Amino acid sequence: MASAILRFAVRSGAWAWALCAPLSAQTGDPDALVIVTGQQATMPIPTCMEGPQNLTANSDVADQLFLRLAELPPDLVTTDERRFVPVLARSWTRRDSLTLAFDLDPRARWHNGQPVTAGDVVFTFDRARNPKVAPKLAGLLRHLVSVAAEGERRVVMRFDRVYAEQFYDATFNVAPIPSGLVPADAGPCPAVNPVGSGPFRWVRSVPGQFVELAADPGFFLGAPKIRRLFFRTAADPEARVNLLLSGEADATDNIPSPPLSNVERVEEAPGLRVVPLASPVLGYLLFNQRDRTDSTKPHPILGDRNVRRAIALALDRRRMVQSVFGRYGEVPYGPASRLLWIQRSAPAAAGQDTAEARRLLSKSGWVTRNEDGVLTRDGRPLALSLNYPLTSEARKQIALQVQEQLRGVGIQIDLQRLEGPVWAERRSRGNFDIDFSSATQDPTPSGLTQSWSCSGGTNVAHYCDPGVDSLLGRAITSPPGSAAGRLWQEVLRRIEADQPAVPMYSIAYVYAVSRRFRKAPLRAESSWLRVREWSR
Amino acid sequence: MTRWLVVRGLQALLTFALVAVLLFFLMRLAPGDPLSRLSGEQQISPREIEHLRAQYGLDQPVWRQFVTWVASVGRGDLGDSIEYGRPVTSLIAERLPATMLLGGTVLLINFSLGLWLGVVQAVRRGTPLDRWLTAASLAGYALPSFWLGLVLAWLMAVLLRLLPAGGLQNPLLSPDAPMWVRGLDVAAHLVLPATTLVIVSIASTMRYQRRAMLEVLPLPYIVAARAKGLPERLVLRRHAWRNALFPVLTLAGLWLPILATGSVFVESVFAWPGLGSLAAGAVGTRDYPLLMGTALLVSALIVLGGLLADIAYGLLDPRIRWT
Repeated sequence: MASAILRFAVRSGAWAWALCAPLSAQTGDPDALVIVTGQQATMPIPTCMEGPQNLTANSDVADQLFLRLAELPPDLVTTDERRFVPVLARSWTRRDSLTLAFDLDPRARWHNGQPVTAGDVVFTFDRARNPKVAPKLAGLLRHLVSVAAEGERRVVMRFDRVYAEQFYDATFNVAPIPSGLVPADAGPCPAVNPVGSGPFRWVRSVPGQFVELAADPGFFLGAPKIRRLFFRTAADPEARVNLLLSGEADATDNIPSPPLSNVERVEEAPGLRVVPLASPVLGYLLFNQRDRTDSTKPHPILGDRNVRRAIALALDRRRMVQSVFGRYGEVPYGPASRLLWIQRSAPAAAGQDTAEARRLLSKSGWVTRNEDGVLTRDGRPLALSLNYPLTSEARKQIALQVQEQLRGVGIQIDLQRLEGPVWAERRSRGNFDIDFSSATQDPTPSGLTQSWSCSGGTNVAHYCDPGVDSLLGRAITSPPGSAAGRLWQEVLRRIEADQPAVPMYSIAYVYAVSRRFRKAPLRAESSWLRVREWSR
Repeated sequence: MTRWLVVRGLQALLTFALVAVLLFFLMRLAPGDPLSRLSGEQQISPREIEHLRAQYGLDQPVWRQFVTWVASVGRGDLGDSIEYGRPVTSLIAERLPATMLLGGTVLLINFSLGLWLGVVQAVRRGTPLDRWLTAASLAGYALPSFWLGLVLAWLMAVLLRLLPAGGLQNPLLSPDAPMWVRGLDVAAHLVLPATTLVIVSIASTMRYQRRAMLEVLPLPYIVAARAKGLPERLVLRRHAWRNALFPVLTLAGLWLPILATGSVFVESVFAWPGLGSLAAGAVGTRDYPLLMGTALLVSALIVLGGLLADIAYGLLDPRIRWT
């Protein structure tokens, strides 16, 4: 019986092997690039990627289909319009401190052959600035008061105030779409095949599996050498790594770690190379400034700056980051990710200093210890909860180390591992002591106002320092140059001194790319933006 | 019999309706909603969240949301997925074939190979083959499916490069390729997830069938059949196996929902674009319309599975009365 089963298995295997041979002949395409990602693009059309559609997968595909007016310079400095790279706009002029005029490249065509006109750009920005259509974009473009066409090829944009990132706002946040691709008014975007102006055109989407794009041979900046481009979907990190290692995918963004073994497996694969790139991700312990039960009162423990500072000093952040992210993570200075240009000239973050932490706690009256070794003041233990989402393995591993290290200085941390929506709801309602947050930041430092200014839209911890607000305002409106750089450094220094949060990690995304692509430039602000330049 | 069918059908419908109502309110009772995660992950301001909440009708009282939902379902409209921005019915329709293919293949192998092996074990009870098959099937049953899937993917796809590591089809294969080539491609992608699911699930079928056969084999009519001089193969197939099938039918009814849900873990490990991974994603994002749509489908299949098992029992077992 056993031998019969064995014979059956061997014969089946041989048949399957023989039958599968024709497949390899049908599927080999050296000019194709398969990128495996965690999500599938569902609505890759600028101005439609709002709310739940605000996905990296949508942006990745939209970057291939739609061109921006101009692209960020290689160093990602967002304040110097002279250094931006012309793309859909051939050139631009500044008429005054509030007005920019863009001249569209006359060679630019939509994928249906129609020329890209100033009317298309106006249509796009009308949608983008309408809060009922695109609330997030409208917020980002709040200083852009008018967009008008002058003839077929010129677009004039006017702002309501002088600030250094006018050009960035006008070019980075939204890429033009053709008039009429989606309705001009509010309401959900219909499922349409996107018609863009980019190097690749839309071919098909196979739900749950992949999106296929094809090179536009008539692309006015030069036809891409990659003929077919696939964004393949595998939600599970292990599945993505397996697809890569088995040769079924050529590249992936952000090999997930922890565990670090995923990165190590890819590093050891001879056909792949690993490319680390600054990421927009920042992980930080956010201190609630208000009492979680009564937000009109200051937090009974964390309202004290000495305690916040002591917590930061009690932690060996470098060791924690090293243990979880290896050489691909670092401790940031202030709440700024590696992607932000202001992080490059920032000083190193403070190291662990438990003696100083104890001194600060003692200064605030946390002196005696109870039978559990926890510091107390007026009979109240120095106990805090730390919320984090169960979907994040990195935050889980770091939270455990935070708990252990703070125990060493007499602070009790109760870990609250919560399901994603529950964690998010508690966070947005201010129902936490310490929240292990993770932010994905835009390349602009102006985004810091959202979380760290008194009236910031996402300032859920109610941190408020008028001095920081004033500095932020000055840094945003200062002209490009060293003055702006110094002001941004001052913003970071002041926030570090106030310690409304402990910046824990800023990471590099670890990309993997097949070695068969000799030229494969990647961009930190938008991973696959330059696939049009890839070649074997 | 007709009366029984009508009554049983109405009971099934009532059960289904109750489950649907319960599901609706339980989902709303759970903390967090589809948009709360955006404030955490994307750091969207509360004002934008409120705008989106109004857009999706989540700012309405729960009872009003329920009335709206019932009216929509009555029209056959399960609403639009918040995450995908598309009708739930079309999302389910897109993913169902992949899940049915995987689930159907697994059920087919499970109930053909599993029943045969169960009979073999019963007939050769106590032999080394019986013990070996018992140990092997229980070992498979004890393995976590995601772990086994990862090991098989590593071995067969990464190390030996014999089979695809994931997905349902090779994206490089042209949609214009001959049908048999595309079929072969899908079959190659099906091997690892189906093998994983068969290994972890076949034990129950084998054990059920073995047990049922062991109960039937000593019965007097089997002894009589043998005494008549019927060939052993005929005794086993016509007299013993047919009667030992009844308990397994119940199992088949209970397995029906697996056709629609597949295995979340296995679909995930092999990037299989099925309904299980769609539903799992909807749980994490609290995509109410999509969650309700998939939950309703599963509930319907569970109720239907029970009903079909009852009917099959009544048809096959003369001892059952239609009352």
